[in-house]
Amino acid sequence: MRQGGRHGWLLGLAAVLLLAGAGSGKAAVQELALGEINPLTGALAKHGLEIHQGIALAVEEVNARGGLAGRRVKLLSRDDQSRPEIALNQAQDLITRERVVGLVGGYVDTLVGPISEMAAKHQVPYVASASLQAALTRKRHNPYFFRISNLEGILSPVCRLVGEVLRPQQVALIYMATPGSLEFAEGVEERLTRQGIRIPVKEKFRPGAPDFSMALLKVRMTGCEVLISGGFYPDNLLLTRQLREQRLQLQALLAPWGAAYPSFIAELGELSEGVLGTCAWTPGVTWPGTEKDSQAFITAFEARFQQSPTTTAMHGYASARVLLTALERALARSPAPTGEQVVKELRTLDLTLPLGRVRFDAHGDPLDYHHVVVQIQGGRLVPVYPPERAQARVMVPLPAGRK
Amino acid sequence: MSVGMHLVVSGFSLGSFYALVALGFALIFGVTHAFNLAHGELIILSGYLAYFLWRGLEVHPLATLPLTVALMPVFALALAQLLKLVREPFPMNSLVVTFGVALVVEQALLSAFSADYRLIQPAAPALMQVPALGLALTETQVTLLVLSLLATGIVHLWLTRTFSGKALRATIQNREAARLVGINLGRMRTSAFAVGGLLIGLAGPLYGQTLYLYPAGGLEATLIAVTLTIFAGVGRIPTLLLGGWLLGLAESWAALALGANWRELVSALLLVLLLILRPEGLKIRTEG
Repeated sequence: MRQGGRHGWLLGLAAVLLLAGAGSGKAAVQELALGEINPLTGALAKHGLEIHQGIALAVEEVNARGGLAGRRVKLLSRDDQSRPEIALNQAQDLITRERVVGLVGGYVDTLVGPISEMAAKHQVPYVASASLQAALTRKRHNPYFFRISNLEGILSPVCRLVGEVLRPQQVALIYMATPGSLEFAEGVEERLTRQGIRIPVKEKFRPGAPDFSMALLKVRMTGCEVLISGGFYPDNLLLTRQLREQRLQLQALLAPWGAAYPSFIAELGELSEGVLGTCAWTPGVTWPGTEKDSQAFITAFEARFQQSPTTTAMHGYASARVLLTALERALARSPAPTGEQVVKELRTLDLTLPLGRVRFDAHGDPLDYHHVVVQIQGGRLVPVYPPERAQARVMVPLPAGRK
Repeated sequence: MSVGMHLVVSGFSLGSFYALVALGFALIFGVTHAFNLAHGELIILSGYLAYFLWRGLEVHPLATLPLTVALMPVFALALAQLLKLVREPFPMNSLVVTFGVALVVEQALLSAFSADYRLIQPAAPALMQVPALGLALTETQVTLLVLSLLATGIVHLWLTRTFSGKALRATIQNREAARLVGINLGRMRTSAFAVGGLLIGLAGPLYGQTLYLYPAGGLEATLIAVTLTIFAGVGRIPTLLLGGWLLGLAESWAALALGANWRELVSALLLVLLLILRPEGLKIRTEG
C-alpha cells in the first residue's frame, strides 16, 4: 500500500513534468527567439538605447501582423554595458542557452567584433546595426556576419564634399583610437592627399578626451581651412564648444558622427550653427521613394516612445527588418530553418527601406549604404550634399563665435 | 597669444579642473580612509542638478553653485551614514560598498535623465583678453582657475587656521594620536563628508560646463580624483592643486609637442616616476 502510494506520487510527478515539457515545447514551436545585444548602459548607452528602440519597434510591427509564418517573435534584449567581454558573454548566453535564431544590434566595432565571432562559431546569423571596421568583413571569413552600414558610405560623401565643394588647401584631421575611426582617418588622408589637399594636422585622441585645445592650436598655427573630426557624438560636442570658445576661424567643421542629431543642436544651441555632419537617414532626409515609409516609421516611433527617432534608431530598425525578412523567407521554405538557410536568404535579400536599398555583397557588407552630408542651418539639419539630395547650398565659412 | 602662453593657459585650466574634481575625494579619503568609488557619480548628480536649473529655470550656470553646494553635503552625509555600517577591514569594505552605491546612482541617473549627453553651456561664451600679458582666456578657463584657487585656499585656511580644521588635519595625520588627545573621530568623519559634499557640489556644475554629463560619466571623474590623490598625496590640499597644474601642463605639453595620443602616456609616466621618487604614495602622512 505504502509502496503503491509512492509509485502513484512518482507517476503524478512524471505526468506533471511531461505536461510542463509539452507546454514549453509548444511555446518553443510558436515563438521565435531573436537575440539583441546593445550597450544599454555605460559610455555608449545613448546610441545603444536608440538602436534598441528601433529593433523593438520592428519586432512589434511583425508581431502585430501575426508574426513570422504564424509564429510570434520574442525579442531577448541584452545589455553589454559598453564592454566587449560582456558583449561576448551575452552572445554566448543567447546562442547556447536561449537558442536564438539570429542576433541583431550592436554599436561600435569593439563590441560588434566579439559578437560576430561568437555568432560564426555557433553558425547563427548576426546582422549588426552599426559597424564600420573593414577587418570584420574583409580580413576574416565570417559567412554569418552581415551589417547594414560600412565606412565607404561615409567616406565617399565626406571626401567628395571636401574636394568638390569646400576645396581647401589644407585640412586638419582629428580622430579617435577606435577601429572605425582609425580606418576613417586613413581613408580620408589617402583620398584627400590624392586630390592634392594637404593634411598638416592629424591628431589621435582616446574617446572621451577632456581637452582639444592643443589640437585646435595646431589647426590655428597651420592655417587649416577645414577640420574633419572622426570623434563620436560627445567628443564632437566638446570639440565644437572648445572651437567656438577659442574663436577659431574655419571654412568648415565636418563631424560625420555626432552632428546629425537634433540633440546636438539642442545641447549646443547657436554654437552648432554651420557644423556639417552625415547621416543615412533622419526625419526629413530619407531614401528617395521611401517618403511614405519614412513618415510611417516616424509616426509609429513617436507613438511608441514619445520622442522623435534618430538616425541610430533607424539603423536598429533597418537591421531588425532585414533579419526578420530573411527569417520569414527561410521559414517559408522550412519550419525550422538552420542558420545556414537564413544566411542564404540574407545573401539574396533586396529590400528598400527608408535607410536605403539593402543588399549584401559576398562579405556581408551593404552594397548601397550612402550617407548624406547635412549642415545645421537655422537650428535644423539640412541636406547639402550630394547635389541630387541637397535641399540647400553649403554655408561657408563657419559662423564666428560671439565676442 | 603666443604658443607658450596658450600652453600655460590650457595646462593651468585643465589642472584646475582636475583639482576641483579631486578635492572632495582627497579630503574624505584622508580623514576616513573610505575609498569612495561613488565620488564621480555624486559629481555627475550635482552636475545634473545644475543642468536642470540652468535649462529649466534659466539660472546662470554659476548661480546654480549655491544650491548644489548646499544640497550635495546631504548626499555625502547619507553616504557617511551608510559607511558607518561597514565593518573591518574598513578601507576594502568601503570600496565594495561605494562601488555598489556608484552602480545604484548610475542606474538612477539613467532612469531619471536618460542616456543623453548634456552640456551646461553659458549663453555667450566670452573670450577675455588681457593685452598687457598677451593673454586670451575663455570664460570656462577663467571660472576653473578662479574657483579652484578659491576652493583650495578656503579649505587650506580652514585646515590651518581654525580649531576644527586643525583637528581634522590632526586626524588625517594620525588618527590614533588625534583620538588620544580628545578629538572626536566620529565628528571629524562627519565634517569630512560634509565639506567633501560641499566640494562635490562645487565640482558638479563645473564638470558639466567643462566636459559633458551622462549617467556613466562618474567613472571618469572618480579616475581623475584617484589619480590626482595618488599624485599629490593624501591630506595635502595645496599640493593637490599644484599636482593638478603639473598634470595639466604635462598633458598639454605632450599634446602639443608629441601629439594628442601621447597625453595619457606622459601623465602615466609622470605618475609612476613620482611614486618611485615619493614612495609614500597613498600612505597617510604620519609625521607631525
